[in-house]
Amino acid sequence: MSSNDPRRIVRSYEQELNQLRAMMARMGGMVESQTANALAGVLNRDGEAAQLAMEQDPDVDAVEREVEGRAIRMLALRAPMAQDLREIVSALKVTSDLERIGDYAANIAKRSLRIGTGDAGLSLGALRNMGRLVQEGLRLAIDALSQNDEAKAIEVWHSDKAVDELYNSMFRELITYMMEDPRNITSCTHLLFIAKNLERIGDHCTNIAEQVHYSVTGELLPAARPRGAPAQDRAYGTEPDATEEGLEG
Amino acid sequence: MNEQHPNGTTTARQQQGGVSFTQARGNGQALAASRAMISMRGLDFYYGSNHALKNISIDLPERRVTGLIGPSGCGKSTLLRVLNRMYDLYPGQRATGEVLLDGQNIIAPGTDTNVLRSRVGMVFQKPTPFPMSVFENVAFGVKLHENLDRAAMETRVEDSLRRVALWAEVKDRLRAPAAALSGGQQQRLCIARTIATRPEVILLDEPTSALDPISTARIEELLDELKVEFTIAIVTHNLQQAARCADQVAFFYMGELVEVASADRLFTAPREKRTQDYITGRFG
Repeated sequence: MSSNDPRRIVRSYEQELNQLRAMMARMGGMVESQTANALAGVLNRDGEAAQLAMEQDPDVDAVEREVEGRAIRMLALRAPMAQDLREIVSALKVTSDLERIGDYAANIAKRSLRIGTGDAGLSLGALRNMGRLVQEGLRLAIDALSQNDEAKAIEVWHSDKAVDELYNSMFRELITYMMEDPRNITSCTHLLFIAKNLERIGDHCTNIAEQVHYSVTGELLPAARPRGAPAQDRAYGTEPDATEEGLEG
Repeated sequence: MNEQHPNGTTTARQQQGGVSFTQARGNGQALAASRAMISMRGLDFYYGSNHALKNISIDLPERRVTGLIGPSGCGKSTLLRVLNRMYDLYPGQRATGEVLLDGQNIIAPGTDTNVLRSRVGMVFQKPTPFPMSVFENVAFGVKLHENLDRAAMETRVEDSLRRVALWAEVKDRLRAPAAALSGGQQQRLCIARTIATRPEVILLDEPTSALDPISTARIEELLDELKVEFTIAIVTHNLQQAARCADQVAFFYMGELVEVASADRLFTAPREKRTQDYITGRFG
């Protein structure tokens, strides 16, 4: 909502909306830091950071529940319309995307602790690139969200393709390592799941971008977004489709 | 917006038979498919020197509900008064422009207002039962326009009361004074009286603002049934009511028609900033 809008007659309604916006921004920040910690856990072998990422998860879940409660309350009591309605419904959807991102971050952190020190020889270059791209996408998505910036939303929406492509090449690379030496299988599998989790975080960022775009413009982005080609290789078969993987995965 | 706009990417999908959200959304299609029962073109209305409606052009699609919303004094009730020439009763009030009903300009001199009012019925904010029996209330308007024998009149009255879902409640007290009915029943009686003359258009000016929520829900349900047969225009201050009942909603502000769109378009993504401000409670 731009600042030149006339003041609302019911001021408490405006306050509630502002509180909801603030909560969304806070949740975005929490998830951003959680993801950064999880990646530090993997890429820098930083066990403390990984531990922190896992401990942050319940806080993110708590904010999600609070956002949901407030949004439902506002739908019931304020009967919002137009931009207000779109913003509140978007908050409901975005909060669950953010919560999922938090789950994936916690999952990455958990796996980072399981990759043994003996696996340091494995190249983390591709994962590092992917992590950087996903973090950038996440930051941009959260900026778009807190600034109601449609242009940034579109940028996120287009940028996820690169993440998909990196994931696909990592998939091939890791399978090659596993074929070379079965002793690599355990750590490569963990890395593969970590890459998959990052790729899913990227997907949720595009979901957030779609919601921001809808909230600002009132128009839905088309269902088909730009994607990288699926990982397909005759020798290795097809990459199994993304499945929702919980913390236990 | 730059050339990267993702809407460009829908083309292939649409060609494969996909339907974009904007296409599928709402009843814009249904509205477009319906012919205009009433067409206003360049309508101006004056209360003496007060220019109350300014260059209004809007269609009321046949067998659809059009909701008229806007702050007090915006001209929405005035518009209803024009549609059945109620303003004729008051000197100094005049309308210019065109209001076409079946191609005929009803605000032109020479229009038979009695015939017009049998074709365009009106229901007011407060129930206005006549000081007579339930039966006579419904029969009253019919008698002005038609000569029915006793049996035909009884059928007409019963049919009208059934259509407003009032028959079961009043069939045993048709001879009782209408004033003895509850507010909600009285309002349904007034709607029965209006439809008894078999109009084509029904105008409702805040028909539920004096009613409790249950009676309001009954009237709203009734509108849904009546629109199968009638073209309806409803003035309401209750935006939720407009959202629930109307196919098409028109927003008026200071005598101007600011925006007209399908109800779901107008309430989820209005095009005009003034509409947005009004429906989100930013001015009155």
